[in-house]
Amino acid sequence: MTIKYLDKFPRSNARTLWVLKPMWVTLKNMFKTTLHRPVTIMYPYEKEWVPDNYRGRPGLIFEKCLGCGICKRMCPTTCISMIEVDGDDGKKVDRPQVNLGRCMMCGYCAEYCPVNAMIVTPDYELAAYTREELIYGPRKLAWPKHTEMMQVHLKEHLLSDLKNGVTDKPTAFYSIDRPELNDAKCIGCSRCVKVCPTGVIEMYTKGENAAGKPIKRPKFDLAKCVCCQNCVDECPKDALVIKEVL
Amino acid sequence: MPYDSILNWIVFKDPMVNPFYNVYNLPYDIGFKLWEILGGAIAWLINLIFPGNGASKFLVSQEVTGILALVLMVVVIFAVAFVINLTMIWEERKVLGRMMDRRATRVGPLGYLQNLADGLKTFLKENITPSKADKKGYMWALSIVIGTSVLIACMIPLSDRWFIADYGAGLLIIFGLFAIAPFMILVAGWAQNNKYALLGGMRAAAQMISYEVPMLIVFASVTLMAKSFNINDIVAAQVGMWFIVPQILGFIVFMVAAVAEAERIPFDLPEAEAELVEGWQTEYSGMKWGLIMLGDYFRGYVACALGVIMFLGGWMIPFTSWNAIPEIVFLLKVFLIFFVFAWIRAAHARVRTDQILWLGWKVLLPLSVINLLIVLALKIGGMV
Repeated sequence: MTIKYLDKFPRSNARTLWVLKPMWVTLKNMFKTTLHRPVTIMYPYEKEWVPDNYRGRPGLIFEKCLGCGICKRMCPTTCISMIEVDGDDGKKVDRPQVNLGRCMMCGYCAEYCPVNAMIVTPDYELAAYTREELIYGPRKLAWPKHTEMMQVHLKEHLLSDLKNGVTDKPTAFYSIDRPELNDAKCIGCSRCVKVCPTGVIEMYTKGENAAGKPIKRPKFDLAKCVCCQNCVDECPKDALVIKEVL
Repeated sequence: MPYDSILNWIVFKDPMVNPFYNVYNLPYDIGFKLWEILGGAIAWLINLIFPGNGASKFLVSQEVTGILALVLMVVVIFAVAFVINLTMIWEERKVLGRMMDRRATRVGPLGYLQNLADGLKTFLKENITPSKADKKGYMWALSIVIGTSVLIACMIPLSDRWFIADYGAGLLIIFGLFAIAPFMILVAGWAQNNKYALLGGMRAAAQMISYEVPMLIVFASVTLMAKSFNINDIVAAQVGMWFIVPQILGFIVFMVAAVAEAERIPFDLPEAEAELVEGWQTEYSGMKWGLIMLGDYFRGYVACALGVIMFLGGWMIPFTSWNAIPEIVFLLKVFLIFFVFAWIRAAHARVRTDQILWLGWKVLLPLSVINLLIVLALKIGGMV
């Protein structure tokens, strides 16, 4: 009651009674923490609850991964590198390897992964005795108890949609941006077919040149393309560019 | 029976018939029975190995039993005061922890053994003396501060049967020894040859001297009301009404002054750790610092106990004459007052130097004089 009075009339002659306010606050706090419990968590013995989408170390679902390398491209600290490992069926496949000594747990790799094979895990106890132990290979990155919530979905609004007044249609960028062929520069070398992780590129014969050889050009199955830019990087004549949709 | 030598204290085998202990003294009884068990066992063992010797008879003779019962009584009283002190430190740390929304001490059951662990830690630390320090002042000031603190803590009676000696000067001697420490803190601050220590010592002296005055005036009004300095008489005078009822003003003044005298937050200017490193204790390291902290809490215990004795009816339960274990009642009241001390410590920030002196001289001193005038008016009116 006194406190309420002083809150209303802070300049009244009874303002010396302000000393009561901190005492009332501390007494309330004492009863609260005695009846329930203090916020302190006895860390090694008990751990704080973390949500599934907590940004801990990145994890990998090995069988879902395409090996496209978007995570490697997007990593701000360049701690991800693609290495060749034995797949489940014995073939060599490309999979990411994360140097956790440099990882800043931003979760971009999980956010940009087109198939949600890269996930964020609630694992934050990462201390190790050597730096080599901190380099997590594709198998070590696995997190067996992964749930739906550990995937991070990228939602982007298109400028064109916003201009048209559509605000409830978020779209992932890899479903919009597409590689585009500059026909005059292409020499038909088929390198893009070899590097495409999803196998959406096919070479088709466009016609015949003056020497009677077939002119080959890539064709993109745009429904499956994840826009990883591997073909753009590989193209020797810069004939491929990514067309950005705005 | 006139007192003529120290032997008067020990020639009586039964403490109940000793005229110097005209009331039952529980610690003496405990010491007497302890020596009967200990000394009897030792004498029996010696007699078993060397039958028919004089040493075993000497150990259980009346005079030796009397002396050693006195020694054991002192040990018992100190041990109890020490355990009370540890409990109060534990209480303060727990209460502070809960008020700050954290867990406090963790060692042992309910964290009670944390203080022993801390004591062990300070005991194992290196004992450093600054080479440029004044060695005599350095050690003597420390010894006197700790010594008087422990002494007055042991002189506090827990009940009418738990005391070291029932003497007429009572509170007067406790207050006298309580007032030695500020002077010795100034000496300690000078002797350490450190600017922070010197500043802390000067602040301690200024603060404690300015708060001695209202405290002593309140003390005078209490003794005026009880017509005695003797602690038993003061408690007995509060049978009908605790002194807190007519002297509520004096109680408040005494409590504020006691917080300042015990150098506790919010009046901990002498060891303002944000400005002066550790105040007048800066150059004391290891176990010396641990003993200073212990002495501080002994003084806090004495302040609380004096408040209970002078205002809260000592070891009496209100509205009833039944009192099975008066020591427990007394200690519960002391812990209650100390809870308020810890509560103030959790709630308030440190007060500025000029504000401390302003509060001491311009607020508490007039209030204590008004309290004395109220007591005088009640006395003249014949109310008490």
